[in-house]
Amino acid sequence: MSRGVLQAVGLVRRYGGLTAVDHVDLVAPPGMITGLIGPNGAGKSTLFSLLTGVEQPDEGQVMLGTTDITQMRPDIRSRRGLVQTFQVPSLFPTLTVADNLLVGAENRRRDYAGGLLGLSAQGRSRISRTAERALERLGLAPKGPVTQIVEDVLNSLGLSDVRDTIAGTLPTGALRLVEFARALCAQPDILLLDEPASGLDAAETAKLSELLRSTAADGVGILIVDHDVDLVFSVVDQVYAMVGGRVVAAGDPETVRNDPTVRSVYLAQAPLAAAGQSGETR
Amino acid sequence: MTSVDLALAGISLGAIAALSGIGLLVTYRTNGVLNLAQGGIATLIAYAFREMVVEWNLPKWLAAIIALAVLSPGVGLLLERFVFRPLARRRASAAESLVASLGVLVLILGIVAGIWGLGSRSDAPSIFPNSSVRLFGETRIGVDALAELLMVVVFTIVIGLIAARTAFGRQIRAVVDDRQLAELSGVPADRVAAAGWAAGTTMAGLTGVLLAPRFQLTPYGLTLLVLETFAVVVAARLASMPVAVLTALGIAILQSELKQFTLDGNAGQILTVLQSNLFIVALLVLLLAVPKLRELGSGDSGATASFSSRGAPPSGRVSGARFRQDYLGKLGGFALLLAPLTFAPSDLRSAFMVPALGLIFLSMVIVTGYSGQLSLGVAGFAGLGALLSLKLANGNLFGLPAIPGIWSMFLGALLVAPVGLITGYPAIRRRGLTLALTTFAVGAVVSRFVFEQPTFANGLYLDPLTLFGWELSEKAYYVFELVCLGIGLLVVRNLHHGRLGRALLAVRDDSSGAAAVGVDVRNLKLLAFTVSAGVAGLGGALLVHSSYSFSADDFAPLQSLLWFTAVVVFGADSAAGAIMAAAFIVTIDVLAPAGSSTLAIGILALALGWMPGGLASAVRGMLRLFAQHLADSFVDPNQRAPRPVPVRISAVGHLPATTGITGASGIPGVGATLGAARAGHYSQWPLGAQRTAADPRLTPFGAELVTMVQQYAAHRQHAVVGQRAAPSQVSQEETR
Repeated sequence: MSRGVLQAVGLVRRYGGLTAVDHVDLVAPPGMITGLIGPNGAGKSTLFSLLTGVEQPDEGQVMLGTTDITQMRPDIRSRRGLVQTFQVPSLFPTLTVADNLLVGAENRRRDYAGGLLGLSAQGRSRISRTAERALERLGLAPKGPVTQIVEDVLNSLGLSDVRDTIAGTLPTGALRLVEFARALCAQPDILLLDEPASGLDAAETAKLSELLRSTAADGVGILIVDHDVDLVFSVVDQVYAMVGGRVVAAGDPETVRNDPTVRSVYLAQAPLAAAGQSGETR
Repeated sequence: MTSVDLALAGISLGAIAALSGIGLLVTYRTNGVLNLAQGGIATLIAYAFREMVVEWNLPKWLAAIIALAVLSPGVGLLLERFVFRPLARRRASAAESLVASLGVLVLILGIVAGIWGLGSRSDAPSIFPNSSVRLFGETRIGVDALAELLMVVVFTIVIGLIAARTAFGRQIRAVVDDRQLAELSGVPADRVAAAGWAAGTTMAGLTGVLLAPRFQLTPYGLTLLVLETFAVVVAARLASMPVAVLTALGIAILQSELKQFTLDGNAGQILTVLQSNLFIVALLVLLLAVPKLRELGSGDSGATASFSSRGAPPSGRVSGARFRQDYLGKLGGFALLLAPLTFAPSDLRSAFMVPALGLIFLSMVIVTGYSGQLSLGVAGFAGLGALLSLKLANGNLFGLPAIPGIWSMFLGALLVAPVGLITGYPAIRRRGLTLALTTFAVGAVVSRFVFEQPTFANGLYLDPLTLFGWELSEKAYYVFELVCLGIGLLVVRNLHHGRLGRALLAVRDDSSGAAAVGVDVRNLKLLAFTVSAGVAGLGGALLVHSSYSFSADDFAPLQSLLWFTAVVVFGADSAAGAIMAAAFIVTIDVLAPAGSSTLAIGILALALGWMPGGLASAVRGMLRLFAQHLADSFVDPNQRAPRPVPVRISAVGHLPATTGITGASGIPGVGATLGAARAGHYSQWPLGAQRTAADPRLTPFGAELVTMVQQYAAHRQHAVVGQRAAPSQVSQEETR
């Protein structure tokens, strides 16, 4: 199935004289976890921004399934199934956890006009049931009633206790989880996670990798960018390693870990080398 | 006059604008606050200087020293110590600082209007002698222009040297970068910030004293002139002092040069306006052209959520007590709004302003409270609504036939909506400061180029309003206004509820997070601006009918600032707060001398530091405290288990707060208050399930009250036979 594959084709992004991303090709298929690693300044974050639509590439294309999404804004990409989380969790601090998730679940449709006229969701669906069915056939409508999605996600992530808590009052670990839940509620085909483990303790990280595996098992494609090489190598199905804006190695974790370039780069960087080797000795 | 003469004539104004720009930059680069109060301070000092020279007959040099070396820096030091230092200490967002500076502006305007009145004075003394020196041939330059130019050069060089070459300059950069970190490294942050403020306000005072003799001295007029010089700091992208100085001189000289041209027809009229308004046009153009200001800090000055205290209305089912409480509040508010119908005709006419202003304020709730955009141009939309509806009613808009007054109001409001849409476009990519200034500039340009132009605004007459052939009496007009207000409230409610409401709040809280889950940030921002402009337009149309004539002053750019401050003070995300703000302003304006409402709003704005969610949330908090206090007087707080606690009153059997003493059992006031308490502090009380924790002991007052309730319930139970047993009644039976 071609729908849902995220593909970067020959992406280039320059800042003045510096080429931050240099002809990068990348494929993140559904149902698989793809890792993106690299030392600081390797161009990971820039590539991530190009994929999410926060920045535009100077050359190359971003494809989602068979659609070229290079020129699309982040929110349009998201409605098409490419959903991201942030390095610093970006929740809506004045909304409750449940409402945060609802925002995620509700926004595959854009018809805000009905709301302005005071039509309830039920009223709208009665008026435009045909239109809605047509949307569903195109795969643009939510797959079930939105509140059901939210309840399911709340339950499966163990967030039911905090469903009515104002998000701004939660601790960091919980924020990450809620942000992940919100992304899940948007029913992604591909999830882009920017350093999902930063700020989490060991137990929370373990829980996260479990969560990632079960999400991927549900057919969602996941792309992780993270400094935590341990986490990346322990959960991914395939890894891309970037150095100096280029992909220097790609493939299954074993291959990439033993790649001479990757080894030399990570040996030059003391903390990461340790992390890499601990991954190797396991 | 030749081009050279015109250029020389423009230099003086340019130099003054440059001084203003230098002052703004000094305050911004030392404190991270774009001081919107600059104009107010300039006006205050100009008035004080005039008072000393004209009324007290002090020698000019002495008055100048007092005004510029004592008063001006004194104002800065006061502001730093009592307004901005507390904000910096608690790391308030740039949006809060912006609102605080607006509060200072409004307060100072209120003070000036209170002391010296709103009338204009033309006898402001000039510091420099009114003479000129010969440059070459017949070309002469004024002594004032030379002196001002000299000051600009000296200040630029001195400040530049301090910033680049001294330890103090380094300290400034450290303090602005991270105040707490700087303090930990031994930098006297407070002193650095205070010095910045004192220097900035001294420049402001100098600007005011130099500008006043060139124009009529009026509180609003001079303030606006100084605000227009913001064009200079925008061109400098809030950073470069030389760019600011050159821009100031450039615009002023160009404006002066325009005087040698005359054109016929419409173009000529535009040229005439440009000849005295190039600064405000430059402000708008520069804001649209300059891609990004170099804002200090995280640049998150758009985070208006900091003065919007509430999130979405509950998405699930609302508890009965909460519903009753809301319902009672709304009913009470509605009754109060109906009260003017019983007033004497003259008072009723004053009350006309309330629903009109209320609608204008609601439009700001939409844009600022719900979608998080700082918009300082609402008077422009309101004025356009007023003007368009009048023109429609008079039948001189685009050759359309005259439309009956009432329908012309709605149509006029609808016509303003697209203007809002266009204004909203810059808002897609702009936030915070830039957006605030852009909307202000739009309002100011509309005011100068439309409202103040005889072609557009003269010869309009107000016919009595009719509805289906019936002429509306004054009472009927007020009812009609309330209907309009109702429509506005309905729109606001729909924008705040359900999926649309959540999506808007998501945009307000975190727009990139919202985009990440597919919220259409761009269109929602545009929607908010469009709807808001329409609502403001309707409010403006009502306002003009309330005051019986169209006056450009009613919709002057400074009104936007005053109104915005009022809305924030009363709670930017509170529809009820918006209407209260309108009632507050109108009441004070009717009862107290002119400018009093401005003064009151200014004082309240400065108090925002203590009540971040505005008055509305402060009132909510007070109610909650009061309810808690009341609850504590039933049950001895020392005897009570830590919250959340189940309430079990063993002496008299079960009397859960949820059933026994709320409205259902019929002690009116107490029920409502406890409802408030439950909605707030006691929200976690289990509703009757587990009642096993330690028994709290009643206070004497509580015991007495409980006995009363018990007697009442018993009495009621005898009276109502066969009624389905409510939980409280069941418990009463168990006791007996």
